[in-house]
Amino acid sequence: MRKLLALISVLGLTVLMISCDKGIEPLEVVGPSAFSGKVTFEGQWPEGIKRTHVVVFKEEIKSVGDFFLPNLSFVVDSIPYGTKEFTYNSLEKPFSTIFKFAPGTYKYVVVAQSKTPVLTFNRADWTVVGVYCESGNQANPKTMIVNPGKTTTDVNITVDFQNPPPQPPM
Amino acid sequence: MKKIFLIMFLFPLVYITAQTGILTGKVINEKGQPVFGASVLIAGTARGASADENGNFEIQNIPGGTYDVQVSAISYEKKTLNNILINESTKAITIILTEALIQTEQIIVSAGKYEQRVQDLTVSTAVLQPEVISKKNHLTFDDLLRYVPGIQMNLEQVSIRGSSGYSKGAGARVLVALNGLPMYSGDNGDIVWEMIPVADIERVEIIKGPASSLYGSTAIGGVINIITKGSVKKPITNFRSYFGAYDKPSYDVWDWSGSYRQFFGAELTHSNSYENLGYTFSIKKFDNDSYRQNDFTKRYLGYVKLNYDLTQENKLTFFANYFSMNRGNFLYWKDSRNVLVPKDEDNGNTVKSNRIFTGLIYHHHFSDELTSEFKTSYYRTKFTGYGLEITTSTADLLRGEALVNYKTSNEFLITGGIELSYANVASNIFKNPTFFGGAGYAQAEYKGIPDLILTAGFRYDYIKLDTTNGKNAVTPRAGLNYKFTNDLILRASVGTGFRAPTPSEVFTSTAVGGGVSVIENPNLTYETSFSFEVGMHYMMKDISLDAAFYQTDYNNFIEPNLTKEGDIQFFNISKARIQGLELVSDWNIIPSMLTFSVGYNYMWSRDIEKNKSMKYRPRNTVYTNLRFTPAQFEFGVDFRYWSRVEEIDFALTEPPLALVVDGEQRVPAYITDLMAGCNFFIMNIPAKVYINAKNIFNYNYVEFIGNLAPIRNYSLSFELFF
Repeated sequence: MRKLLALISVLGLTVLMISCDKGIEPLEVVGPSAFSGKVTFEGQWPEGIKRTHVVVFKEEIKSVGDFFLPNLSFVVDSIPYGTKEFTYNSLEKPFSTIFKFAPGTYKYVVVAQSKTPVLTFNRADWTVVGVYCESGNQANPKTMIVNPGKTTTDVNITVDFQNPPPQPPM
Repeated sequence: MKKIFLIMFLFPLVYITAQTGILTGKVINEKGQPVFGASVLIAGTARGASADENGNFEIQNIPGGTYDVQVSAISYEKKTLNNILINESTKAITIILTEALIQTEQIIVSAGKYEQRVQDLTVSTAVLQPEVISKKNHLTFDDLLRYVPGIQMNLEQVSIRGSSGYSKGAGARVLVALNGLPMYSGDNGDIVWEMIPVADIERVEIIKGPASSLYGSTAIGGVINIITKGSVKKPITNFRSYFGAYDKPSYDVWDWSGSYRQFFGAELTHSNSYENLGYTFSIKKFDNDSYRQNDFTKRYLGYVKLNYDLTQENKLTFFANYFSMNRGNFLYWKDSRNVLVPKDEDNGNTVKSNRIFTGLIYHHHFSDELTSEFKTSYYRTKFTGYGLEITTSTADLLRGEALVNYKTSNEFLITGGIELSYANVASNIFKNPTFFGGAGYAQAEYKGIPDLILTAGFRYDYIKLDTTNGKNAVTPRAGLNYKFTNDLILRASVGTGFRAPTPSEVFTSTAVGGGVSVIENPNLTYETSFSFEVGMHYMMKDISLDAAFYQTDYNNFIEPNLTKEGDIQFFNISKARIQGLELVSDWNIIPSMLTFSVGYNYMWSRDIEKNKSMKYRPRNTVYTNLRFTPAQFEFGVDFRYWSRVEEIDFALTEPPLALVVDGEQRVPAYITDLMAGCNFFIMNIPAKVYINAKNIFNYNYVEFIGNLAPIRNYSLSFELFF
């Protein structure tokens, strides 16, 4: 009996100790996280292009499903047809306020084009024309790291219509 | 089918009289207090009665002879009185029961749709007493379930051994029934806990495991069957009222109101009988300002029940339950600095709802070998949600069941029945679907081998939801119970289950804010399960231990997920598995004065396809209760723990949608409650006063993303019986 009462007492003390933790607490306010850069277009724009966006993915595209939500993390507002140079900032030019950008690591940042007037979720409608990459090697995507409350700059992408990058799975 | 119901209804009106006697008496405990609800049975017959509030009972029309009389009650040791002579006169006896912690002798009815003792069951079961509700001042019935090992509440959604995650009430996997009549609504299949007439509860039986083979689609995760009280012989009125307040939140930045938010409730219940008619009326009002903004509730409940004994063999029970509620619609917090304030776009949204649930049960006792029951219910639900857009739904659900129990000998018992149900929904978010279900079931119990009970059964269901193709399901099960020694009982069961998607899971089409919508999925198909359990129950004089290992494999498990377009839709997950170990132990440290209970559940759930844990399923849960009852006083401490859930709806908390800002905030839960009470008399009127302090350490946790659970609160409840 004494052992049992001792056990209950120990359990009670344990409860008291762990309960001193308050659990969920208010998080500190962190300023907006963002990325910015420049897209440079080389060569003649293809005919019939209706949409051109900088698109950010968390992970590389390994299957058709990875091309869309939730791996698709952010879409910059559409780039006008025929543009030669486009400067952007994710805070100023989001495609939609539905998309909330968060700090983190993003392994595939691209420029993608579509010939449909509305934004679709059909993989076949989209062509990747430029990749954020190391030393101009578009087969080797560069990871974009965005720290909390900071803006990652120089996320520059060159689109060479004569030399398109490897296409993700269709 | 109508003819079958008609025959079932009219056939029992044959009544044969014979020389009979009456057994009457009183059941009390060692302190001389009446044992309310004690079950008194004439052994070898189906005749019996329950003791009323004063411990009195009466069994009429007993054929003359000598009988053994078995008396049992929750928390008391079973007692058998041998060779009681019944003749034409009235036999009066007094039975004194001894308190015992081991709760194995109480009668339960739900497991096999016939009366069984707990120790004879082949599945894990828990039986709850109604006193717990008033003593701990649970504001609604679901609060009570939060203290039962193996049960997890995610806001208002109940899950037994991980059967459900959270889907905003759409599609329950636990069947909640009142006297065996299911209480799920016709549109989204949800359960409104406030509708349960707490004042009229005799006991609550919980089957922890799939029960589709007897109860059908909704019981794939288990059954909670609420049994209401029988008729009383003398008038009794019960008045209960409570008042409470929430403490200030842990952080000043969360103190949105600057005041102590309050809750209040009052309930008046009166029961009596006139000749063969027993009746109960109850009215209740319970309001809650809530500790959160725009989370208020104003609720009214009216309840009436009539028990009419047409003859000793023919009994009719009718009940009707009307519930009205007006509440704020708190969906998610604004962010972690405003956890008690809703998102701006949701602030001011309200919901008004009205529900009526009626049931009629006709019981006929053909003989000690053959009994039948006809049950029918009607459930009308209506709600209107006021927000950016007005959402409405009205659903009518009709249900009928005919049930027969046939005991061919003392060794063999057969239970069989048929069920029909029809629902009609009119809604601007669920469309206007209709639902039809038909089912037949049978189960046999064999006790021919000493100390061994074998059960086997199956159920066939046909379900058609509006224009979707009709589906068939066959759900067999089998179980065994073996009394290894007088102290040790082993049990095992294996079975299949299925669940049809509800109209809301298939047809919901509405905006949920932030540009995100829930969209319909007409291709949603049925989920099925295969499960088994092995368990043991060990009893010593003052200690009991129950252990169970369980596993359930689901196919086409239905859960809400994000589409590639960013909408929410109910999908079938290809495969999921839940395995677990549950241990429950009760200790009678000082008999009748100091008790300790502990329950531990380890649960490993995973989505086989994604090799991830299933959402909102904690891996470890612990429940403890310490109760001290010196004389007329009572003191209690409850502690609950569950580990941090691994998976939540990340699609709602993380970018790109991030509908719930800081929604990923979740912690292990440590909740401690205190209770103190006293039973006394005011001018010879029995009364109870209880003080409760819940979440005394003001620990901040969530049961669902973006919803902080109740902060520390205090309440005082007062109860009178006259």
